Amino acid sequence: MTEGLNLDYSLLIPEFLLVGLVVAIVGLDLYAPKMKKTWLAYIAAAGLVAVGAVSLGYWDTDDNFANIIVVDDYTTFFRVFFVATAAVICLASATMVAEKFRHPGEYYALIILSTIGAIGMAASRELMTAYISLELLSFSLYVLVSYQKFDAKSNEGGLKYLLLGAFASAMFLYGMSLIYGITGSTYYSEIAVGLQNPTGDFQWAMLMGLVLIVTGLGFKVAAVPFHMWTPDAYEGAFPPITAYLGTTSKAAGFALMLVLFSQAFEVVHDDWSWMIAGIAAATMILGNLVALQQHNIKRLMAYSSIGQVGYMLMAIAALNSDTAQALLVHLVGYMVSNMAVFIVIIAWYNMTGKDEIADFRGMRERAPLLAWVLAGALFSLAGLPLFAGFVTKFVLFQSVWNEGFYWLIAIATTTSVVSLYYYLQIMRQAFVEKPAEGEESRLPVPLLMNGLAAALMVGVLYIGLYPQALFDVVEAATDVLFV
Amino acid sequence: MTALLLQESITTGVELQQYLVLSAVLFSIGVYGVLARRNAVLILMSVELMLNAVSINMVAFAVYTAPSMFVGIIFAIFIITIAAAEVGLALGIVLRVFRNRGTANVDEVDSLKW
Repeated sequence: MTEGLNLDYSLLIPEFLLVGLVVAIVGLDLYAPKMKKTWLAYIAAAGLVAVGAVSLGYWDTDDNFANIIVVDDYTTFFRVFFVATAAVICLASATMVAEKFRHPGEYYALIILSTIGAIGMAASRELMTAYISLELLSFSLYVLVSYQKFDAKSNEGGLKYLLLGAFASAMFLYGMSLIYGITGSTYYSEIAVGLQNPTGDFQWAMLMGLVLIVTGLGFKVAAVPFHMWTPDAYEGAFPPITAYLGTTSKAAGFALMLVLFSQAFEVVHDDWSWMIAGIAAATMILGNLVALQQHNIKRLMAYSSIGQVGYMLMAIAALNSDTAQALLVHLVGYMVSNMAVFIVIIAWYNMTGKDEIADFRGMRERAPLLAWVLAGALFSLAGLPLFAGFVTKFVLFQSVWNEGFYWLIAIATTTSVVSLYYYLQIMRQAFVEKPAEGEESRLPVPLLMNGLAAALMVGVLYIGLYPQALFDVVEAATDVLFV
Repeated sequence: MTALLLQESITTGVELQQYLVLSAVLFSIGVYGVLARRNAVLILMSVELMLNAVSINMVAFAVYTAPSMFVGIIFAIFIITIAAAEVGLALGIVLRVFRNRGTANVDEVDSLKW
């Protein structure tokens, strides 16, 4: 059975290294109890950066492992993307985790494990592998969301996330089984061949399969009407995990969607395009409108991220090589801006223990650098010029416009303006409102948090002012999908 | 082995459609259970029903449409494994919720809203 298949394990070295890192972190936590726990975070982050460097060595490779896992520029792009995100999250949670949890090793181990799952979702070209990677990511996240054992909110968020996530993966699987039944294969390339022939009597089975697959993936990226778990899981989770949910879990969902729809289902584009366009419209409208009435910062960011998912889904609905590029560009811009916002939220929560929007009052006087980073990152999320969000949104909207989805773009630009309103609400607290009585003093922001916030802000400005470098990388990454 | 299964099915006169109907019914019962049940453990059981429906589908398709390939059967084995892991994880979280709140009824676990 294995003749002719390429079983070159060296293609998977980054994943093996990540597994090694997991074992090392848990081992260090157990066998070096005297070590300061913040070091675990630094070691995890350093290891992740090293793995990212190793993955960069695979740039320009175009090879596959047994036709199941492909290592090309697309995979390399997402390897670096996910590893970088995880490294920032590990650093951002260092102080908090060391204070609150007795065995922080497991926390970092789960983050790294979920990274492996996320990479697998981007790299796999076969449904079974994609599904197992998706579950590896989801299971790690279920545990991470409910990691604060004695906190009722954390448990509740975890329970809701888990029940709906399990329900969604069952739907996703049933859809897969129908597609497998029609085409007789689980490889994306063979599914595409199978769907090329007129499906005839199986038309309804195929549509049903597509609906179920879109539903399952919609749950994972939190698209309306499958978004109900998002705000609860975001609010219940530990702040760094909230940031992680909003970036890696979504990006992985889109990485999988992009490959699946461009490689397997491109031949039946007309059958699923309208579903995703409808979901995208609902997601943009509902996410941005419900965000207007939030008073908890994590819930607000949850609805803001739902709105952003709507913009990204437009690119999937109008899928071609241009929109795929624009989608990746927007993912990177969104990741950097969102992370910058969350670093500020995490630092503020560490120092004051509060996460309501009203608690941000007087931030400009108490932590000026954080306040300015917050302003820049929120402007970027809203899509104002000079910042990453403007360029990435512009490219995204333009590429979708060129495909003829004018009504979607009309909704997208309108809801973008709406989103500016709730972002400005946060800024009003931070800049206009005076600090509460007795809390006027400057806060001692740790150097690490200031450094991370500043570094991410530089990233936001860099993408905003010189986007060309990012465009080149993304072009190489998506070219392999559209040959 | 799949060829053997196929032969047996054909001699006993069971057709592919019958398996598919069984699995669709099972899946629908599972969906109904998830939507109608209020106890977290019963919701989990309903999700298990849905996963079992998928396994039936996978094995039936493997046997009837591609007897020389084992993909569907292997898929079913993976689903069983993952479902087991899922239940272990889920019961852990349900147990934590029960300890903290004294209930596993999802309607009463509602401190996070809108």
